[in-house]
Amino acid sequence: MRAPIATNNSALIAMIADEDTVTGFLMAGVGNVDLRRKTNYLIVDSKTTVKAIEDAFKEFTTREDIAIVLISQYVANMIRFLVDRYNKPVPAILEIPSKDHPYDPAQDSVLSRVKHLFSTESVASGRR
Amino acid sequence: MTMEQQQREEEKKPQTSENDKDEKVVQFLDSLNDYLTLMDSLSSALRQGWLELASARHSMGSWRINSATLDHKFHSASTTLQLSSPDDSNSNTNQPHFTLRKWESCDDEDFQSKEVKLDEDEVQKNSDDVQVQKERSKSLLVFGALVSPKLRDAQLSFETALETLVDIANRRSVMLSAYDHVREEILGTKQ
Repeated sequence: MRAPIATNNSALIAMIADEDTVTGFLMAGVGNVDLRRKTNYLIVDSKTTVKAIEDAFKEFTTREDIAIVLISQYVANMIRFLVDRYNKPVPAILEIPSKDHPYDPAQDSVLSRVKHLFSTESVASGRR
Repeated sequence: MTMEQQQREEEKKPQTSENDKDEKVVQFLDSLNDYLTLMDSLSSALRQGWLELASARHSMGSWRINSATLDHKFHSASTTLQLSSPDDSNSNTNQPHFTLRKWESCDDEDFQSKEVKLDEDEVQKNSDDVQVQKERSKSLLVFGALVSPKLRDAQLSFETALETLVDIANRRSVMLSAYDHVREEILGTKQ
């Protein structure tokens, strides 16, 4: 039996994405800055290091007040090993498109997990 | 029960089991299809939002719409999520459910309690709309008192994108749960 999911009535949405995407979602009211000036977002630009992205991902996926983490797919590709290794139900990791990088289902971590059902080990072949 | 009836009951059992498996596979494929369809809708909403944001930046100036103007002072999110789990405590699967709560300020409870006393649905609805508009405008204040209509359009597009994202999160939960069921069936079949 897996650990039950803790309910939360005001969980946050975290973001690791480019400036325009983060700005847009902040306009929609998801921005949160706590008393220690810690935010629930990381704006990724050409100067952002992979380490900074990794640290933000690790932080957001371990905070109990965050229920969804939005990450631009091209940013997720920079830390693909970390994203693919993550398998908790909460926070849910959602890979989203960015202006210059459209969404590619072949790279989506969640779809990669389930795609082997369509290989030669699929349900249909198992029943022949 | 006669021998014939018993035999018929025995023959039905594998068929029922096969039907259950088929149902689980169909549920998985349906949720996968919904997930991909929603991702497509998300891409459209985001494209709309980015375009409107670019138009707003063009008319207001890029110095007014950039990361430096964002509010870095202490403040709570106005749009949050309600996270719940299924009622079935016997379930072995972890399937969270997300509900979007838009534009709720810290004063929301006090505001609502005052309006409930008046006991008029119309007043309650108007108050909610006023509250939402107030929170929307507050969110754009960081860009200045007067903002381009395109910026307000962009705000609405990103709100739509947010609603789609919550649907995607729920669909993802269902898909992963359905996948686990199908995988268990496959392992059960091989044994």
